This record gives sequence, structure tokens and C-alpha cells, in this order.
Amino acid sequence: MRYADFTWHDPIILLQGLGVSLWLFLATSAIGLALGIGLALTRYYRVPVVARLVQVVAEFLKNSPVLVQLFLVFFGLPAMAHINVTPVEAAMITLAGNTAAFVYVIAVSAMEQVGRDQVEAARVFGLTRGQIVWRIIAPQALAFAIGPLIGLAVNQLQVTSLVSVVGVMDLTKVGNILNMRTLKPFVVWTVVGAVYFIIARLIAALGGALERRLRAHAAWAGL
Amino acid sequence: MIAIEKVGKNFGSTTVLDGVELAIAPGEVVSILGASGSGKSTLIRCINGLETVDAGRITVDGFDVAEKAGLAEARRRSATVFQLFNLYPHMTALENVMLAPTMVLKRPRAEVEAEARALLERVGLAARAEAYPAQLSGGQRQRVGICRALAMKPRYLLLDEVTSALDPEMTAEVLAILAQLAREGTTMLFVTHEIEFARRISTRVVFLEKGRIEVNLPTAEFFSEAGGLANPRIARFLSRMAAPEAAAPLSPAPTDAHEAS
Ligand SMILES: Nc1ncnc2c1ncn2[C@@H]1O[C@H](COP(=O)(O)OP(=O)(O)OP(=O)(O)O)[C@@H](O)[C@H]1O
Ligand SMILES: [Mg+2]
Repeated sequence: MRYADFTWHDPIILLQGLGVSLWLFLATSAIGLALGIGLALTRYYRVPVVARLVQVVAEFLKNSPVLVQLFLVFFGLPAMAHINVTPVEAAMITLAGNTAAFVYVIAVSAMEQVGRDQVEAARVFGLTRGQIVWRIIAPQALAFAIGPLIGLAVNQLQVTSLVSVVGVMDLTKVGNILNMRTLKPFVVWTVVGAVYFIIARLIAALGGALERRLRAHAAWAGL
Repeated sequence: MIAIEKVGKNFGSTTVLDGVELAIAPGEVVSILGASGSGKSTLIRCINGLETVDAGRITVDGFDVAEKAGLAEARRRSATVFQLFNLYPHMTALENVMLAPTMVLKRPRAEVEAEARALLERVGLAARAEAYPAQLSGGQRQRVGICRALAMKPRYLLLDEVTSALDPEMTAEVLAILAQLAREGTTMLFVTHEIEFARRISTRVVFLEKGRIEVNLPTAEFFSEAGGLANPRIARFLSRMAAPEAAAPLSPAPTDAHEAS
């Protein structure tokens, strides 16, 4: 038998693949978010060498294909630095780094939209840097950044599909396997595509709800 | 006492403050007059530590603003009211007033809130406590700005052209509050273009010209023929600035200063 028909087992492995994709997406989004914001702060406070370095790296990550970055990590690290990475590790490093680069850009621009004059007022009243970041800059920057961040999240979900290339058993990789076995690409890729679509819509809907909540608290911004 | 000793400040090659000597004792209301670009804002910004001085020294009750710990202490003793209000737009009027007392002085919220509401009530904004700055008029915003400063119970109030972004009616609202504060003995360093008002509330007037203190005289003397008006630059400045609406807010002011020019 050269190929087999679909079995009752197939939806389960598709779900497993979806689980891997979602897990990768959530983990790298969380790391990327934290890292990107942290790095944006080095820029906001003009930390000498670090800020410049971060900017150069972020530019590289933003302007080169994620697939190339993935290959660089997966094949490059073992070859150059003799560090062996598993496919999942390579995927994590690449996606987290890539997300961080985009979050960095969004966060820098959002923080720049917060007027310096209020920050001066807060300084004069004796608030510490941490208090200023937390109480003055963060709430306003978040309101500016939430829209772009939701857009980024939807995009990064799709980007996770690239990790199938190095053998991570994500939704796309499972789709690939099912396709090889059944030779029914139209069915397989329609289903896989629909699953990505549904998850993306879900992220957008959740993000939209979050944004509306933020805006409701931010009556100041909409006036 | 705020002591400004031989303070110099340059931006690149331009000298903005040059050997400025000034002392503000508790209870004084010192007005700073001077043409645009004479360095008035820069002087205020050096006192509250937004700019660092290049020469000389500024102390607030003996605390040197050039030192980190000194600046923190100086900033607790003085509070600034800004020309463009500089309110926190994402916070209500009440939250704007409460932020520094709770975060910096670490005072209990309930107590701070009661005081903040009392301050807002005093400037006629009790009903607007929950409004965001964007929902307030310019005059109302500046009144919040004043409450925010007063909530810190500062010994010194630094005011940099706090009415120049306001129309005459709003200016009147804000000046009335400042006049009240002056009567109560609040120490103020008051940069202004409101000559008549400065004349009415200040104990002393300082005239800044190209970063130097041209004169520093008790108010009556500053506006007298033999005192400040004997200086042709000041006479010229006053005649240029003495727009009739500047005098409107409180009571009709004497006009002899105008005649001199
Ligand atoms: N950050 C800065 N960088 C460079 N030059 C500055 C800066 N701040 C002020 N200056 C210059 O310093 C001079 C004094 O400015 P300052 O704002 O203190 O004047 P001012 O007396 O407050 O004027 P105004 O009445 O217009 O407010 C001006 O020539 C101004 O251009
Ligand atoms: Mg000024």
C-alpha cells in the first residue's frame, strides 16, 4: 500500500501538533515580550553601549528572514560554537529573539509617544526611575502599543509554522506527515490552514477585548 | 532658604545663566521678570534639578541640588508648577494630586486623598476630581497643577509662567489662587510676564537680562522712579509688557509704573 486513508487517529495527532504550535507561540511570545520591553528600556534610558548594540541586533532580526535566522541557530550554533541545539531549542531561541526584536521596536515607539514633559514633572516631584516607568510610562505606552502588539502576535503565530523545517512536530509538520501518507494535500492543508485561521481570529478577538478594556480605562486617550 | 550662588549655565557655546546670585528666604514672594530667552525657565530648571549647573551652586535649605541625595531632599522641599501644566494624562485630577504624596512621601492613601480633595475643593474643582486632564479646561488643568504642587506641602513653590498658556479669564482664576497663597505666606519664586500681578503679590522683583541679574529690589523700589525704573532697560521692558489686560484679574492696580515709561 503506497498510501493510506485518513484514520480516527489523525485528528488526535493534528491536535498534538496544534499543542506544540500553541506552546511554542505562547512561550516565545512571553519571552519575546519581556525581553523586548527590557531592551526598550535600555534605549529609553540611553544605556551607553548596550542600547546601540541592541538596536543593531534588532535591525538585523527585523530585516532578515526568520527561516534564515532559524538555520543560523540550528546549523550555525553547533558548527561555530560547538553548542548542540535540539530542534525545539533552536525554534525557541529563534522565535523568542525575533519576537523580542519586533516588541522592542513597538515598545520604543510607544514609550516615545509618552510626553517628556510629564516625565519631567514626575522627576521634579521626586519619583524614582522605577516609579516613573511603572506609573507614568507603562500605562500610557501600553495603550499605544496594544494594537501593534496584537498584530504582531497574529503574525508570529503564523511564523511558528517555519519551525517544521528543522523537524519540530508542530501543526504544519503534522500536516506535512499526513499529506505524505494520504496524498490528499487539498484536504490536509485546508484543515491545517483553517486551524491556524481560527486560532489567529481567537488571538485577535482576545486582543481586541483587552484593547477595549484598556481604552475604557484610558478615557483620557480617546478625547 | 533657596540660595543661588554664582550660578552659570551654558547650552553648547551659548551662555544662558551667568553669575546668578539670588537668595529666597521663607515667606518671600520673588518675581522674576525678563525678556524671552533671558534664562528665567533655565534658572527654575536648575533649581529643581532638571538641568545641571556648569558653575556655582544651588542649595535648598542647605541641600545641594548637584548631589543625588541633596537633590532628592531639595525636591521634597520645593514643588514646581509648569507653564504647560505637565499633568499625567492617564490619571484623574485626584490621582494627579495624590501620586507624589503617596509614592514619594509614602503617606497613607486615605489621608492623602482627604487632603487632595480638600485642595481641589479649595480651587473650585471638587466636582471635577474624577475628570481626566483632557476633560478639563486650561485654567482647570493649571489649578490641578497647583494642587499637585501644594499636596507635597512644599516650603517653596516654583512657578514658571504658569498663566501664559491661558486666556485672560483662566489667567484670572489661576492668579486669584496664587494671590491667596501669597497672602497666606507661601514662599514663591514666580517667573511671570504678568507685571501688574507681580507688583501686587511679590515682596521682591528680580530682573534677568541675558542670563545676568540686572536688578534685585524690593517691589516698591523696583517700580519706583529712583529704583528699577531708573534703569532704561527695565523701563523699556515694562512699557513693552504693560498690556492693559494683564492688570484685569484682581483689583484695579495703580498705574504710575506705566506713566514712567
Ligand atoms: N535645552 C536647551 N538646549 C539649548 N538651548 C536652550 C535649551 N533650553 C534653553 N535654551 C536657550 O537658553 C536661552 C534661555 O532660555 P529660557 O527658556 O531659560 O528663557 P526664558 O527666559 O524662560 O524665555 P521665555 O520668556 O521665552 O520663556 C534661550 O536662548 C534658549 O534658546
Ligand atoms: Mg521660559
